[in-house]
Amino acid sequence: MGKYIIRRLLQMIPVIIGTSFLIFLMVFVLPGDPTDGRCGERPCSAAYIAKFRAEYNLDEPLIVRYFLYLGKLLQGDLGTNFYGNRVVDELLLRYPTTLRLTFIAIVVVILFGITAGVLAGIRKGKFVDNLVTLSTLILISVPVFVLGAGAQMVFGLRLGLFPVTATQGTWYQLLMPGFVLGALSVAYVARLTRTSLVENLRSDYVRTAKSKGMSQGRAVGVHALRNSLIPVVTYIGASVGALMGGAIITERIFNINGVGFFIYRSINQRDGVSVVGAVIVLVVVYLIVNLLVDLLYGVLDPRITND
Amino acid sequence: MRAPHKFLAFAAGAALLAVTACGGDSDPAATPDGGETGDAVAATGGEISVRGCTPENPLIGSSTTEVCGGNVIDAFTAKLIHYNSDTAEPEMDIAESIETEDNQTFTVTLKQGYMFQDGTEVMAKNFVDAWNWASYGPNGQQSSYFFEPIEGYADLQCPDEECATAPTVDAMSGLAVVDDYSFTIKTAEPVSNLPVRLGYSAFVPQPDAFFASEDKAEFSKLPIGAGPFKVIENTATEIVLEKFADYSGESKPNIDKVTFRIYNDPAAAYNDVVANQLDLTDLIPADQLVGDAWKTALDGRSETRETGIIQVLSFSNVDPQLADVNMRKAISMAVDKELITSQIFNNARVPATGWVSPVVDGYKENVCGEACEFKPEEAKKMYDEAGGYEGIFQVSINADGGHKLWADAFCNQLKNNLGMECQVNATPDFKTLRQQIGARELQGSFRGGWQMDYPSIENFLAPIYATGASSNDTDYDSPEFMKLLTEAAAADNPEDANKKYQEAEEQLAKDFPTMPLWYQETQYGYSDKVDNVKMNPFSQWDLTSITVK
Repeated sequence: MGKYIIRRLLQMIPVIIGTSFLIFLMVFVLPGDPTDGRCGERPCSAAYIAKFRAEYNLDEPLIVRYFLYLGKLLQGDLGTNFYGNRVVDELLLRYPTTLRLTFIAIVVVILFGITAGVLAGIRKGKFVDNLVTLSTLILISVPVFVLGAGAQMVFGLRLGLFPVTATQGTWYQLLMPGFVLGALSVAYVARLTRTSLVENLRSDYVRTAKSKGMSQGRAVGVHALRNSLIPVVTYIGASVGALMGGAIITERIFNINGVGFFIYRSINQRDGVSVVGAVIVLVVVYLIVNLLVDLLYGVLDPRITND
Repeated sequence: MRAPHKFLAFAAGAALLAVTACGGDSDPAATPDGGETGDAVAATGGEISVRGCTPENPLIGSSTTEVCGGNVIDAFTAKLIHYNSDTAEPEMDIAESIETEDNQTFTVTLKQGYMFQDGTEVMAKNFVDAWNWASYGPNGQQSSYFFEPIEGYADLQCPDEECATAPTVDAMSGLAVVDDYSFTIKTAEPVSNLPVRLGYSAFVPQPDAFFASEDKAEFSKLPIGAGPFKVIENTATEIVLEKFADYSGESKPNIDKVTFRIYNDPAAAYNDVVANQLDLTDLIPADQLVGDAWKTALDGRSETRETGIIQVLSFSNVDPQLADVNMRKAISMAVDKELITSQIFNNARVPATGWVSPVVDGYKENVCGEACEFKPEEAKKMYDEAGGYEGIFQVSINADGGHKLWADAFCNQLKNNLGMECQVNATPDFKTLRQQIGARELQGSFRGGWQMDYPSIENFLAPIYATGASSNDTDYDSPEFMKLLTEAAAADNPEDANKKYQEAEEQLAKDFPTMPLWYQETQYGYSDKVDNVKMNPFSQWDLTSITVK
């Protein structure tokens, strides 16, 4: 197991280097002068542009700039963005909020998604099953911005149960956005769990467990569920990465100061340094989460071994 | 033992009496029925939260030309003059007097004892050094061009685009410190409205600590000014300012603290104000303006303010089909602006009849005349006589500014009334539009807007229409116009100057380089916690008059 982990960690390095180069290339090859629009309705003065370009080495060839960047990256310095702030500081400011939001979303997904899926699975064909299938269908069909804006309007503005925006990013403020974010994944997880559970309930070992006299709860909850969760864990692992970097719409509606909106704003501002830095961190996060998911398989189903 | 207990009880009782006696003359605001005692003292204290956005540049007066930074700069700085929040009239602030005999040499005398927020006094050298620093080319200050009229400005500019060699001179010959509290400004040509300009953020003084600091941008994270509020916190989510106790200006603030909360989306800020979780917002989402939905939602907590903003449609000067002035006038007369402002903007815009905003001194009504009125038949006649427009007439806008609706309506009007083929070309964002305009790539027409820097008719004419001006998107070049501008600048008194500027505006009406669209009013909303909410004609909050209930 230890060797496996080390091998996986070593494999991450060429991936990070490769993706960082691709991202760097894509961002800085894009047309558009980063000084446009920074000066209001008039073009920036020549002196301003010259100072800007000198500060960020924008006149060197791309390869040179990439290696300068890589050198700093290996020292843990993600560079200074076009607002004069260190990218590391900007991300450190926003990651706690994003992590909190993602945590709430994942908890929502696990609680509601798996519970609904289990209930639907054990009572296949009955009322509960149909209810879950129908409601998840509705959740999948409704776009996230409708869900978000609607929740904000009803629970925030009209009923006043939750704060309207989550500017400070406290746990309480992030409850509603977390629910909204998790809602879509709840639908998928519920369906995955249900299907997987239904399949496993028909298998031999469950029949054996029940004929041995084991209670329904123990047979399902302890034995069948563990195996059913494998596709679900895969899905949740993939969605963690998406939630961390992609919650742009939810972040915008609720004014959450998270990583997703930071990337979006940096792209808009042509702030290449921020985009590259933030995306590389996301790549690393994604790789680590994937590693954890792979390790989790071994825990869930001992038949799966990693070597 | 009983005796000590009795003694203790007696002592406690006496102490209690003493405390209540001391607290007996507490201020009326502490009474349970609130401050509604009807006395003349305004409610003081309290904290408010305001919609903010991320400043594009460091919080230095001469670096900032956009609204996000500008709102903060306005709160913590004071300048020589200050514009009245109701009338935009210039009033003396740090300056005691600004005198001139010939509109070319100005003597500025400062009030004594006007304090910076770090305890030092504002002196003449703080102005002169700040203005020289802002004008010095290598410092790359955005508002540097405001100092152009001063003699010696050219010596501080970089000789080439890359600024490979720094200019050797770093002080303008036109600025001279006379003594601690007075200095002189000498302009290369007569400038009749120079005193009016001095309230703009580019002209702020900087404390000695600013010049002593190595990294000015770093210093400006917690900047020092002479204004009513001091910046105490500056993070990515909020900028917090506290009342400056030793503020030397006349209108002292009533509140203790202002927090500019950074919002990514104006809709989120608007929702917060509706829910009373944010106190002030100055940007109402466009969809809320329809049917006055915002007024209903805010239920009496909303206002509209006439501000010095004008929107125009510029005609591309590289489009040969628009070379005929009658063609341009025909396009203008074929559009019913009244319909657009009432239907699409719900009267939050007022159709323009000239190139100058009504809030400024020198505004003259209806300089545009017939060319700005809706006359479809005559327009069609002029259009046909000019030979018609072959191909597709483009109207370029930026998609992120809420312009799609009016641009579509505009195009439809041209199609219906002139039979022109018209198309809206929306660039993904403002940056891209400015880039295309700057490269002179666009055919047809493109939108332009102008928000006044200082309340003068000259500010709507010279920076946009003077030959070679930085905001002259159409490359308009008229010797008659320039002559009138020079004559106005050399005028002896403001009335004569304004008359000449009005004549210059009439020249624009003849040449028609751009089509005036509408004057913009700013809509704003506030929570039920605040009172005396005021906005000045620059779309900035008057933070000194607002009170917390």
